[in-house]
Amino acid sequence: MTDSQSSVLDRTAERLAAATPVPLARKVRGLSDKGLAWLFITPTMLLLLAINIFPLIWAIYLSFTNYRANRPNEIVKNVGLSNYQRILGDQDIWIAMQATAHFVFWTIALQTLIGFTLAYLIDRKFRGHAFWTTVILVPMMLSPAVVGNFWRFLYQPQIGLFAYAVSFFTGISPTEIEMLSNVHLAPWAIIIVDTWMWTPYVMLICLAGLRSIPDYIYEAAEVDRASHWRQLWSITLPMALPFIMLAVLFRGIENFKMFDMVNLLTGGGPGSTTEVASITLKREAFEKWRTGYSSAFAIILFVAVFGLANIYVKVLNRVKNR
Amino acid sequence: MSGKTIAKRQGRWPVYLRRGILENIAIGLIGLGFLMLFQPFALVLYTFSFITMLVGTVMFIVVSKFPE
Amino acid sequence: MSAAAHSVVEPGLTSKRVAGAIVILYAVITMVPLFWIFATSFKTPPDSIAYPPKILFEPSIEGYCNLFTTRTRQTAEYIASLPPATSFCDETTRKRNMVIAGQSNFLPRFVNSLIIAFGSTFCAVFLGTLAAYGFSRFKVPLADDLLFFILSTRMMPPIAVAIPIYLMYRELGLSDTALGMILLYTAVNVSLAVWLLKGFIDEIPREYEEAAMIDGYTRMGAFFKVVLPQATTGIAATAIFCLIFAWNEYAFAALLTSGTAQTAPPFIPTIIGEGGQDWPAVAAGTTIFLVPILVFTILLRKQLLRGITFGAVRK
Repeated sequence: MTDSQSSVLDRTAERLAAATPVPLARKVRGLSDKGLAWLFITPTMLLLLAINIFPLIWAIYLSFTNYRANRPNEIVKNVGLSNYQRILGDQDIWIAMQATAHFVFWTIALQTLIGFTLAYLIDRKFRGHAFWTTVILVPMMLSPAVVGNFWRFLYQPQIGLFAYAVSFFTGISPTEIEMLSNVHLAPWAIIIVDTWMWTPYVMLICLAGLRSIPDYIYEAAEVDRASHWRQLWSITLPMALPFIMLAVLFRGIENFKMFDMVNLLTGGGPGSTTEVASITLKREAFEKWRTGYSSAFAIILFVAVFGLANIYVKVLNRVKNR
Repeated sequence: MSGKTIAKRQGRWPVYLRRGILENIAIGLIGLGFLMLFQPFALVLYTFSFITMLVGTVMFIVVSKFPE
Repeated sequence: MSAAAHSVVEPGLTSKRVAGAIVILYAVITMVPLFWIFATSFKTPPDSIAYPPKILFEPSIEGYCNLFTTRTRQTAEYIASLPPATSFCDETTRKRNMVIAGQSNFLPRFVNSLIIAFGSTFCAVFLGTLAAYGFSRFKVPLADDLLFFILSTRMMPPIAVAIPIYLMYRELGLSDTALGMILLYTAVNVSLAVWLLKGFIDEIPREYEEAAMIDGYTRMGAFFKVVLPQATTGIAATAIFCLIFAWNEYAFAALLTSGTAQTAPPFIPTIIGEGGQDWPAVAAGTTIFLVPILVFTILLRKQLLRGITFGAVRK
C-alpha cells in the first residue's frame, strides 16, 4: 500500500470512528470475538432460513397432501406417499426425464469438447488471445431468457438468420428448417442455444486447469521426447481433470434444472419433445395448480440437485487446494 | 486438529468406515441414481432412482463427518 | 535443453497462428447472434422479416419508437387532420397509418429491473461481507457445513423454490412487490457473495488487522479501517456478479410477478406488434437490456473465473 493510500484510509477510519455514537462503540468494544462472529453471520443465516429453508420444509409438508393453491379453502387431505408413488410410476414424467437427459448429455458433451479445445488453443498464447477470450466470454454473461427469446427469431424457418445460414451452406430449402416446430429438430434447437451460451464457461475453467499445470512437467516430457499427443493424454488431460469435472458438474446441475431458455424458446413443445423437468414442474404447479403433487416432484428434483451439489463442493475443495 | 488426535481417532475407528471409501460409495450411489433416473429402458429403474439418490446423498452427508 | 524449454513455454509460430485463426473464427461466429440483435433493433419491421435476411439496410429507430410507445390504427383522413408530427417517432408511426396512443410498459419494467437488481445487490453484498468476514476470521463451529448449506441454497431449482415462495408471499402480501423480489434475490445472491468475499478476505493478511488492534483499534474498528478498504476490489467484483444475476433472472420473475413489480426479462418476450412479435422492438429492448451487461463483463474480465467458481479458482 502506498503512503497516500494509507493516509486516505486513516482519514476514512477516523471519520467512521467519529461517526459511531459512543454507546454503540462501547457496546461493540465489549463484544467478544465469538459474539462478533455470530453477530456477523446470523443475519445471513436468518435470511436463508426464512427464504430457503422454511419454504423447503413447507414444500416437504405439502408433498404429502393433495393441496391445490388455486382452491385455498378446500380441506387439505393427507395423502401419505401417494404423490411420490404417482410421480415415480408416471410414464409421462419418465419421458420428461429422458428429454432432460438428452438435453443434459448433449449440452455437456458438446460444451466440454468445444470448451476444452478452445482453452487448449487459447493456451497457445497467440497474439491478441486475451482480447478474443473476452469476446468469447460475452454470451455466458447475458440473460438466458432475453437472449433465448431472441433465438426464436433467428430460428424462424424462412426469415431467420439460422435457417438462412444452414440453407446457404447445405442447399436445403430454408422453409424446411423448422428448428422449433419439428419434433426431431426442437431438442437440438435448445442444445445449440445452450452450447452457444455456456461453452465459454467450460472454456474458462478448462483454461484455468491448463494454466495450473507447471511448465517443468512439460519440460521433463520434452526431455523424454514424448510426442504432443502423448503429452496431451498423459499430462494435460489428467492434470486438468478436476477442473473439467468442476465445469461438467456445474453445467450438469444447471442444465438439469434448466427452465428460462427452454421455456421461452419452445415452451416444452412441439408436443412434449423438449419438455424438460422444470417445464413439467411449472405446468403441474402453475398451470394445473396441483400444488401437493408438484411439491413432491420439486422435492425429487431438489434431492437430485442436492446430491450433485455435494459432489460439486467436494471437487471444488480439491481444486481450491491445488 | 493436531496430528496426535487424528492418530488417536484413527486408531479407534475401523478401516472400512474411513471416509474415503464410503464417500466414493455414496458418490457412486448418487451417480447410479442419476443413471436410473435418465435411462429409457425400464420404468422400474426410474421408480427406484429417487430412493437411490436419497440414500446416496444422506450417506454422503453422514460419512463426510467420519475421520479420514 | 533450452530449445526444449522454449518449445514448451512458447509454442511454434505456425501452431500459434492456426490456434489463433480457429479461436477468432469461433469468436466471430459466436458474436453473430448478438450482432443480429443489434442490427435488427435498427431495422424497420418489413426489413426485419425480409427474405433473404438483410445485412445492409437503411437504419431506422422505429424499433425503439415502438418499444417505448403503444399505437392505435387510425383512418388516413383522421391522420391527415392531425397537426404536423412533432417528432421522428410520430412521423414514422403515421406513415404506417397509426398514431401514438401512449407510453408502453417497457420503461416502468426497466425501472423495476433497476430497483430490484440494485436493491438486492446492496443487501446481498452487505450481508455477505459481514458473514464472509465472520467465516474468514473467527472459529465458527461447523463452518464447513454452514458454508455448504449457504452454497446449496443457490443450487436449488428455481421452480421448486418458487412453489412454496409463491404460497408464502401470497400469505404475507408480498406477491408482485419489489420488496418480495428484492428479498428473494438477496437470498439467492447472498450465497455467492459469502463464498466470493470469503475468498477475497482470506487473501488479506491477518497481520494487518492485528497491527491495527495493537494500535488501539477494536475488532470492529480494524474491520472498518483495514479489511473493508483492502477488500474494495473484491466487494466491487462481487457486487457486479450479484447485479448481473439479479438483472438476468427470469424464472422467479416470471412466476412471482405479473404487473407492478415485473422486471424486464419476463416483459421483453411479450412485446407484440400487429400480426405477431414486433421483432425490431424486441431487439431494441434486448439491446438496451444487454448493453449494461456488456460493459460489466469487460470490467469484470479478470474476476470472471473467480465468480463462476464461487471463489475457488483464483488463477
